[in-house]
Amino acid sequence: MSLLLQIVVNGILLGGLYALMALGLALVWGVLNIVNLAHGAFIMLGAYTSYYFFTLLHVDPFAALPLCMLTVFAFGFVLQRYVLNLIVRAPMFNTLLITFGVDVVLTYLAQIVFSADFRVVNPSYAGANFTLLGATIPLVRALAFAMAVALTLTVWLILGHTRLGRAVRACAQNLVAARLYGVEPRTVYALTFGMGAALAGAAGGLYGVVSQINPYIGDPLTAKSFAISIIGGLENPLGVVVGGLFLGILESLTSLYIGSTYTDVASFGVLVLVLITRPRGLLGKTT
Amino acid sequence: MKRLLFYAIATFALLDQAGAEPIITLGASVQETGRLANTGRYYRDGYDFAVQTINDRGGVKIGGERYQLALKILDNQSDVNLSVRQYTQLLTQDKVNFLLGPFASDFALADSSASEKYEVPMIQGGGASDQIFSRGYKYIFGTLPVASKYFESTVQAMSKLEPVPKTVALLYADDAFDVAVAKGTRELLQSAGFKIAQDERYSSNSSDFSTLISQIKAAAPDAVLVAGHETEALNFIRQSKSLDFSPKLYSFTVGVPTADFRAALGRDGNFAFGMTSWLPSASQKDDYFSNAQLFAEGYKKRFGYEPDYHAASAVADVETFVKAIEAAGTLDPKKVRDAIARIDFESLYGHIQFSDVGQINLPQTVVQVYSDNVIPIYSQKGFVNKPRYPMPAWDKRP
Repeated sequence: MSLLLQIVVNGILLGGLYALMALGLALVWGVLNIVNLAHGAFIMLGAYTSYYFFTLLHVDPFAALPLCMLTVFAFGFVLQRYVLNLIVRAPMFNTLLITFGVDVVLTYLAQIVFSADFRVVNPSYAGANFTLLGATIPLVRALAFAMAVALTLTVWLILGHTRLGRAVRACAQNLVAARLYGVEPRTVYALTFGMGAALAGAAGGLYGVVSQINPYIGDPLTAKSFAISIIGGLENPLGVVVGGLFLGILESLTSLYIGSTYTDVASFGVLVLVLITRPRGLLGKTT
Repeated sequence: MKRLLFYAIATFALLDQAGAEPIITLGASVQETGRLANTGRYYRDGYDFAVQTINDRGGVKIGGERYQLALKILDNQSDVNLSVRQYTQLLTQDKVNFLLGPFASDFALADSSASEKYEVPMIQGGGASDQIFSRGYKYIFGTLPVASKYFESTVQAMSKLEPVPKTVALLYADDAFDVAVAKGTRELLQSAGFKIAQDERYSSNSSDFSTLISQIKAAAPDAVLVAGHETEALNFIRQSKSLDFSPKLYSFTVGVPTADFRAALGRDGNFAFGMTSWLPSASQKDDYFSNAQLFAEGYKKRFGYEPDYHAASAVADVETFVKAIEAAGTLDPKKVRDAIARIDFESLYGHIQFSDVGQINLPQTVVQVYSDNVIPIYSQKGFVNKPRYPMPAWDKRP
């Protein structure tokens, strides 16, 4: 019985990591209707930022998180303002193409600049763990879970209760009316995209501690984030946490009862099921 | 005016050809970018170093004439389908003389179909899976030891440890190499009298071993054998630490001997067992590089990182072609192919000789990492150094 508990705990913690990764993609997609295929590349950039802060300046990865977020935010802001803004009201296909191109360019630039060697961020507490109710809980994953929840709540608060959030939602709902109210769409879009990038940067900042970093980690993470966003639903930022948890627990249970080699089948199988039965996601409205 | 220019250039070109040495081109599609680039570079650099050194030492001699070696390397971006197309291109458009292999069994398995179809020999040093050599192909040769025997020295060493581990957990990824390793290892373990407590296959795309580790921890085996590649070994050890899992012994097929493994894990890498088919010792002599130790030093100086058995295997492939071409006395692919099948010589990588199916037979040396050193523990002759066994719990490590 305690094995099952451990597996469920593993699943929850894995879900927290997944939610953290998917948050940025879901925000930008749900609000701006831009599917950012370069999302994984932003996570990768955040990871390298954290790595260099740790290795060259000996900054603890958690302490470096705001710096990672800021760096990737700036990058995302500039990218949106001057490149993606050109296609923000164009057909969906154009946004997919352009973000795909950005993804390829970033990945190969990273290979040239950082080389394909894998890196890890190994602070002294990387392997620390504590026991709770008979289950061993890795410290870093528990902290990542807490971060995911905190960041999701922050995004939800910003979107729902601040002026910026209202401006963002206004632009998404009715651009002409928003402009009539004095909202400057280009800046709002850039800020939102920057926020999405910053969230990816936060996920990347922790990625090097739980796994290893190389220029190619981006694409599988984009695919996973995509699946989580759809499963959780795009209308509510909390959907990402639900989607992430669902997927994390599902994968862990699949690994235990069916076999580890079937985890991809399970996650993408569920994605197909959700699309068929509840296309707006688990937290989306059914009408 | 244009006509005059054309004739002038043509004349110079012809004059230039008259003095040039004939060239033998070796073609390869290697992972220079993409997720396998970290290991693919050993092959690109190994081939390059070998061709340069052999050319400096006089090149290839066929019937009194000297030939220079040339390399044509294409980047397959770690994409199997692209590599097959590239090998076909190398054979049909670039018309290279012979083929050198890619890294990884999945690639060698697919690419060898091209060499077989066009009947041009390929020597690859990157794929160990028995599957590559079980199709009756005549034009594929491999310098990595047989996958199913990778753990042979480890299992032999394990049966001589005190206290002998009783239960073993076997984990393997779902690619061609690791499935072949697992198949052979199962038989080795059973015939040596070990009980296999866990036999789990995991997806080679996954980087999360939490559930597997939790399951194994609950079963508490004495030893854990992991068949996977370098990043999987790394993730396994880090996640074992964070889940507080520490068996008496764990051993990994790939990754443990490399420098980045030790750099990435630091002290957490201590006590890990691995294996290598090659060590840079001065007693391993070579016709072109003098010996393995000098090769390793020259490689590090030239490329800035230490070579491992992948690079040595790549060099052995080039040397085998040279020896085979000289023995056959011709560039005819069929005759060279027969010469490769009969080849028998010592190189910096080891004794080069192929079995009937085209695979080399080299024993693995069991190694263990401690304090940023790779210590040879057990070879065919028995224990070389005392192993640090059993592995202490994470909080009790020195």
